[in-house]
Amino acid sequence: MKHVTKTIAVLGTMALTAGLSACSSSTAGDDSLSLVFLASSSQNGYNQAVYEGIEGRAAELSEELGVEISTEIQDGQFDANTQLSQMQNAGTNGQFDSIIVQPHDGPGLGAAFPLGQDVPVVAVLNPIGPDINKMEPQVEGVVSTVASPPKNSAKLQAETVVDYCADIDPCKIGLLAGLLNSPLDIERVKVWKEVLGEHDNIEIVATLEGGYDRDKSLTAVANLLQGNKDINGILSIADQQTMGAQIALENAGIEPSSIFLNGGGGTTEAIKAVREGKWTNDLMSFPVTMGERAVEQAVNAVRDEPVETVIDSDTLLDIGPIATKEDLEANPDFTGQWNG
Amino acid sequence: MKQLFNNRVPAARTRPSIRQVTIEYAVLILLGVVIVALAILSPSFFTFGNLVNILSQNAPLVIIAATGTFVIISGNFDLSTGAMYSLAGVLAASISMAFDTVWPALLAAPVIGILLGTFNGLVITRLRVHSFLATLASSMIFTTIAVLITGGSLITVTTEGFSALGRERIGGIFISVFVMIAVVAALWFVLRRSVFGRHVFAVGGNPEAAEMSGVRVIRVRVAVMALSGLAAGIAGAIGVSRIASGQPLAGTGMELQAIAAVILGGTSIYGGVGAVWRSVAGVFLIALIGNGFDLLSLNPQLKDLVTGFIILAAVGLAAADRVRR
Repeated sequence: MKHVTKTIAVLGTMALTAGLSACSSSTAGDDSLSLVFLASSSQNGYNQAVYEGIEGRAAELSEELGVEISTEIQDGQFDANTQLSQMQNAGTNGQFDSIIVQPHDGPGLGAAFPLGQDVPVVAVLNPIGPDINKMEPQVEGVVSTVASPPKNSAKLQAETVVDYCADIDPCKIGLLAGLLNSPLDIERVKVWKEVLGEHDNIEIVATLEGGYDRDKSLTAVANLLQGNKDINGILSIADQQTMGAQIALENAGIEPSSIFLNGGGGTTEAIKAVREGKWTNDLMSFPVTMGERAVEQAVNAVRDEPVETVIDSDTLLDIGPIATKEDLEANPDFTGQWNG
Repeated sequence: MKQLFNNRVPAARTRPSIRQVTIEYAVLILLGVVIVALAILSPSFFTFGNLVNILSQNAPLVIIAATGTFVIISGNFDLSTGAMYSLAGVLAASISMAFDTVWPALLAAPVIGILLGTFNGLVITRLRVHSFLATLASSMIFTTIAVLITGGSLITVTTEGFSALGRERIGGIFISVFVMIAVVAALWFVLRRSVFGRHVFAVGGNPEAAEMSGVRVIRVRVAVMALSGLAAGIAGAIGVSRIASGQPLAGTGMELQAIAAVILGGTSIYGGVGAVWRSVAGVFLIALIGNGFDLLSLNPQLKDLVTGFIILAAVGLAAADRVRR
């Protein structure tokens, strides 16, 4: 009996040791890399497009470098706590050589750092850390950020309204925000109001919440139009919302092309609407390319090769960041990288 | 037997006091107060266009909440209506794009809804799982199926005429509003005037007594859940037609809005008591708060605060009613 117990103890210790060493790192050999993409939500078209870029570029790099690069996606369920746990787990359990994350709550996600192990992290779309406008790494462990400050894009959007309203007095504008409990969106609306507030001819008639949802935006804009049929424009954060606003305008008998109407996101539908002249412009976004650039930085970091700490997502392609009908006519083959 | 089948049988025919009437019709009084306030504060409120918009915007939720009244009266919950709404819409959009068809695609949505609702009913009755848990689980299943169909993206419908149900008008009123009125009228009739309606009250009030009285409790529960699926499917058809795109998460949160409206209207969360008109009033009470915020250009961040207080006020009155009785 004593012999059996001893044997079980030895076997158990061996199994535990083997398990721990297997967990300590997946980079036992130099010919394989394991990457995880922590999506803010895997059920979201934008995240899917980023992952499409990650998968595609990882496959190309596997061939180019002679290294087998595997990728997987985890679902953050648009929940800050879920993503924080995923980050802590991925940074501790040794399963992954690098982490690419699209933060749902960048400031909140900073609490996961420093990670349990030395795993390089690349952020996409939003930075990680307290300052949502600072793209340089703010916490130890983040090696690169593929994004652009929300302040910049919001300012560019508002300036196109100023241009549109140059000869209109009063120029009545409705603001169609995303989620007014999101620091990112609150910052954008603040910048919009600052820029528009410098021009006396521009009158902000309402700030609406579109919730990144077509139907909700349709309802909000339809209500707004009841008291403001002479509106001159709608400044929107996202394409999904602008699609809803467009339907509300059409229902109210207002031709969308007769007022200022913009989008944000660079979706295929938005590109089509700008090309057709229904929308004034669209703030471009290139999630597939962002995924591609992110995986390049992640692989470079693991291989101790130079990493670009900041990649401005507004300048990834030669279009934009604000694209008008004329800009798109100059790029006839561009149809957008995602739809959502 | 009469007591078993009546949702509210007074002990004696006495003249109700003002307090009793106030409590009984709290939702209508609150609705009236909000309407008068908005009519005074915004000249745009009492216009034909705005009223038609309010009806059209809330048609899907009214249909789901009105049917949710049956579910809650029967002592159940349906937390999968939002997911069924999304899945039915996504499938209608897919069918329309795949076969370049309009009405068969839109009619498929309620059929799918009935199938999903029947699935819920069978899980609840055959596996003896509480409706809360069963529909919570099924909502995850339905949402995932919708996400898998769309790949997490959306299906834009470009089929000619697909938006007619959601956007076309007859005499200035959206077709969806007529559908909503027809559905609500039918539900009111079934609940108040049919044997099935009485059985729903009986099952929710006292299932054991109902069983002993010859009511087929299991069959009624399955039928109620199927009805809820049908409503989600009809609402899904209107919703997908309105925005011309199938979105896997389009109905997120709708189930809670519907339940809130039903309870706000005065239907008892414990089952056995309620009315369709109450849920309709509950939907419009919440809707008018949103409409008012947009018309008056108020800070949208305060919308939920005001809605929360109004729900508390109505539910508080209902609680006072229960204590009194």
